[in-house]
Amino acid sequence: MRDVWIAGADMTRVGRLEQRLQDLMAIATHAALRSADRDRPDSIVVATMNPEEFLGDANFASNVATHMGFANVPVIRVETATSSGAAAFYAGFAQIASGLARTVVVVGGEKMTHLPTPKVSELIGRSLDPYERSYGTTMPAFAALVTRALMARHGVGEREIAQVAVKNHANGARNPLAHFREEITLDMVLGSRMVADPLRLFHCCPISDGAAAIVLTAERATVRVAGVGQGTDALALRHRESLTSFRATQAAASAAFAMAGFGPERVDVAEIHDAFAPFELISLEDVGLFPPGKAGAATLDGETALDGRLPINPSGGLKARGHPLAATGLAQIVECVWQLTWCVPRRQVRCSVALAQSIGGPGTNNWVTILEAG
Amino acid sequence: MIEHLPASRCPECRLVVAPPMRWCPRHPVEMTPTSVMGGGEVVTFTTLHSPPAGFRSPLHIALVDLIGGARLVCHGDQTQGLRIGSWVAIEAVGNVYYFSHLGTLDRARLFWRRAGRAGERMSAIAQSLAKRAWKGRFRGER
Repeated sequence: MRDVWIAGADMTRVGRLEQRLQDLMAIATHAALRSADRDRPDSIVVATMNPEEFLGDANFASNVATHMGFANVPVIRVETATSSGAAAFYAGFAQIASGLARTVVVVGGEKMTHLPTPKVSELIGRSLDPYERSYGTTMPAFAALVTRALMARHGVGEREIAQVAVKNHANGARNPLAHFREEITLDMVLGSRMVADPLRLFHCCPISDGAAAIVLTAERATVRVAGVGQGTDALALRHRESLTSFRATQAAASAAFAMAGFGPERVDVAEIHDAFAPFELISLEDVGLFPPGKAGAATLDGETALDGRLPINPSGGLKARGHPLAATGLAQIVECVWQLTWCVPRRQVRCSVALAQSIGGPGTNNWVTILEAG
Repeated sequence: MIEHLPASRCPECRLVVAPPMRWCPRHPVEMTPTSVMGGGEVVTFTTLHSPPAGFRSPLHIALVDLIGGARLVCHGDQTQGLRIGSWVAIEAVGNVYYFSHLGTLDRARLFWRRAGRAGERMSAIAQSLAKRAWKGRFRGER
């Protein structure tokens, strides 16, 4: 297997944006190519979760490649629900590691804010098990069922969960590209509207538009891809062995660390999939960054804050940076690249190894990507 | 009255699922039809305040560990007083499963049927008491 390097990375602002999805993805792609000092890739991998229903567009790989001026460059689309961006990164990584291509652009994006919220929730909810969906289970309902089980476990209470949102908003306030740039307090989280008991509004990530792109290359560059891992699990919650951990993240992490040849103790900073605040606590333990049952107390103690022992989600995470579905897995990697190349003023972390973890659907197709400064 | 629910069992890993499925989620083998008792322990639950189209708010959803092994997602009339570990009965209304809190008599009957031989009954009672004592310890601490 060849070494794979990251030559460039960039993303659009995240939030309620006016541009079309094709424009957002073109802007991110061109900017990433510029930062990599390259004109044209050998191939393009596109990630969008559901342009068919969000936008009414199909054949989206060709659609977006043509729009950005690469009609003659080979292009494919990859989809694994909300982790599509991370899956596309893997597809691009495999093309270079195998020697099939020398330069690959991976670009992910989603556009949803033009639709009413109930419609967006319904479309995202279609990634759940059909039987459980027929009982009205939506993504927040799924997350609430998991959260209730988590809170029954010793060491995770309302304050531990709320602190995840407070910390990620504090980080988002330092990120000019973030959807939310306001700090919030513990009381604001605990006083916010109940969405799906025990989950409150401020535990949930927003609906966002945005795009992110990465340039992968076989030539030596400043950041090396140390490991990529995928993990899967049964679609239905009722078929899972555990409610308070995601098997898919655990499998992805062990595969990624096995490829990297080192363990979680070398990770200096991580971007974690906090679509719902309690998922950050679950994921930190699933990845192995904290021992089982310890992530809540560590968060409350400030260990995962920007100035803590192990800063988590310096970008603001899904909670504050925003969650433009298929862009998210790549936006996490963009943040990791920027952290490793020391180009994020006001939220720079001292680091040489960064990790990104992405959850697909109800934790059924998860990814862990590990990057190392070269 | 406790109903029986259709379910299926994996001949390889013994996983029981309800409602029944053709193939085991973890093994590419056909499952054997079986049935499970319509009662069990609440694993987790939620009340949804903005349910999707076609459902009325508030929507109560619970995940229940049925006696016989399967877990079931079902609706309920309310979640007030419900806790993880509460015993509920499952009832099918039309094609939809609902949970409701169990009366003392039903609980006793379920318990009797679950633990088969006298020795198992004694150990089940002992386990249940130990579990309660353990949970009480944590509650005292917080």
